[in-house]
Amino acid sequence: MMKHERIKFLFLLPAVIYVLALVIFPLASAIVTSFTDARFGVVGANFIGLRNYIMPFNDYRFYNSLYVTLLFTAIAVPIELGLGLLLALLVNRDIRGREVIRVLLIIPLFVSPIAFALMGQVIFYEGGGGINGILKDLGLSVVRWRSNPQTAIFTVILSDVWMWTPFAFLIILAGLQSLPKDLLEAAKVDGASDIQLFRHVTLPMLIPTMLTVLFFRVVDTLRLFEIPFTLLGGGGPGIATETLTVYIYKVGFRGFFFGQAAALSFIYLAIVSIIMSILLYRVRKYYV
Amino acid sequence: MSRRKVAFAGGKSRGDLVKDVVTYIVLIVFLILFLFPIYWTLITSIKTPADTFTSKFLPFIQFEPTLKGWLGQLQATENFKALLNSTIIGLSSAALATFLGGMAGYALARFEFRRFFKNADIVSWFLSLRIMPPIALALPFYALILFFGLLDTHPAVILIHTAFFMPYAVLVSRDAFRSIPIEIEESALVDGCSRLQVFFRIALPLIAPALAAIYIIIFAFSWNEFLFAFVLTNKLAVTMPVYIAGTVTTVGVLFDALSVRAILAILPPVALGLLVQRYIISGLTMGAVKGTGR
Repeated sequence: MMKHERIKFLFLLPAVIYVLALVIFPLASAIVTSFTDARFGVVGANFIGLRNYIMPFNDYRFYNSLYVTLLFTAIAVPIELGLGLLLALLVNRDIRGREVIRVLLIIPLFVSPIAFALMGQVIFYEGGGGINGILKDLGLSVVRWRSNPQTAIFTVILSDVWMWTPFAFLIILAGLQSLPKDLLEAAKVDGASDIQLFRHVTLPMLIPTMLTVLFFRVVDTLRLFEIPFTLLGGGGPGIATETLTVYIYKVGFRGFFFGQAAALSFIYLAIVSIIMSILLYRVRKYYV
Repeated sequence: MSRRKVAFAGGKSRGDLVKDVVTYIVLIVFLILFLFPIYWTLITSIKTPADTFTSKFLPFIQFEPTLKGWLGQLQATENFKALLNSTIIGLSSAALATFLGGMAGYALARFEFRRFFKNADIVSWFLSLRIMPPIALALPFYALILFFGLLDTHPAVILIHTAFFMPYAVLVSRDAFRSIPIEIEESALVDGCSRLQVFFRIALPLIAPALAAIYIIIFAFSWNEFLFAFVLTNKLAVTMPVYIAGTVTTVGVLFDALSVRAILAILPPVALGLLVQRYIISGLTMGAVKGTGR
């Protein structure tokens, strides 16, 4: 590292000021809004104290969206981590064609969630075609992917697993490949079985990588929006897949209750921050 | 590489063969599962509307492919307007974010910040922006853009995409700068180059491949981003995701048209993403995990 130079601020400050101006100051103004009854198109807003912050806790839709969000995260993320680990271990084996398999497996990473929601209209179509058409051909009963509240939850989880298992796979594979080879060799020479090798050597050394994947997956699943919003028509059927993000969106941009939506955003931000600061604390050391 | 290479040079043991077969079977099953949605969309785009409701999946054998859906969509000017908007917004926000982020990345890689905040604090701050939920920003940002009369314009989306994706550029470029030897820059400074010259003439060109990758990754992020673009645009500046999300109801069950649009939306980021896949890992984890994953 080079010694003190004033010019370092010239390099750092534009980015910091830019982000501060565009992220932090709007957030600060939203704090003010959250204590008022501001509505879109209505001139003037009254200070109403903490009412916007108390109201959600008397609203079943808030609890529902919190539950839905946590449920998605609790189910989808472990599946993605587990499947990603399995696929990474398999591709990490010394087999032919692993390059091609790897490239094909990571394609879903680049598909935008909205495009997937659009593809989902076709794939999850209940009258035939896509999955239900194949199920019919096989003589199985069709699944009501989008019209049944219970199965709709799994439609969202399935979509998330499809889009993000490749992420877990790719990062864990990179982690596997950066493990010290000689250690694995030594354990093998000592006669460790594949399972022992995985359980006692590979897995412990993979923990940092797995934590990183967990961190990014939890962040993104907590803000799940596109699939419930577009594929399931605004968190439907009913409010079965209404995540916190979808709920806040509806309050703010359908009902135009800006004050209420701002307060909800901060409650949401607080929930996310509590969950993430625990994870961030563990992950942060890999950066610094 | 492993014990068997030594012990069974030239051939694999029976146990290894069985393991290989199992590996292939499991991988092929998952490949089919993961590629199914894309394959289905591709074949739906070349079906006649009537065929889109059937489960036929082999073109030429089970159904007669047609380009009608494609021709119809390629004639629609709205598609191109949305693609153009996405391109303009993606190129601009990626350029801004890469440039400003690259400078900050250089500062964090090469200087020591001691007063007020240390380097580690600044890095953590950029990292913590990644956990900021977009919806918490969408509302205040909507109000801000409304105030400046910029709703439904390119700058509105460019401004927020730049801010939102800049942490990637900062952390990944910091990583890239740290990986190049500092001696070259030091000797240039001794020879009388200014710090800015060193940055623009030496450091930047040395990490050009990483910069290109950062640029492309942010372009893809911006291209795929939905919530901000959706909130900030409604007609003139709509991006491709906003456009296709908005037409789901008007297109209804015209699955061939819908599939063509989905492919138009995913093609650029998929192509670009595969192009820079060597860098995709550090891009996706903001530099926490290195390596190519090969």
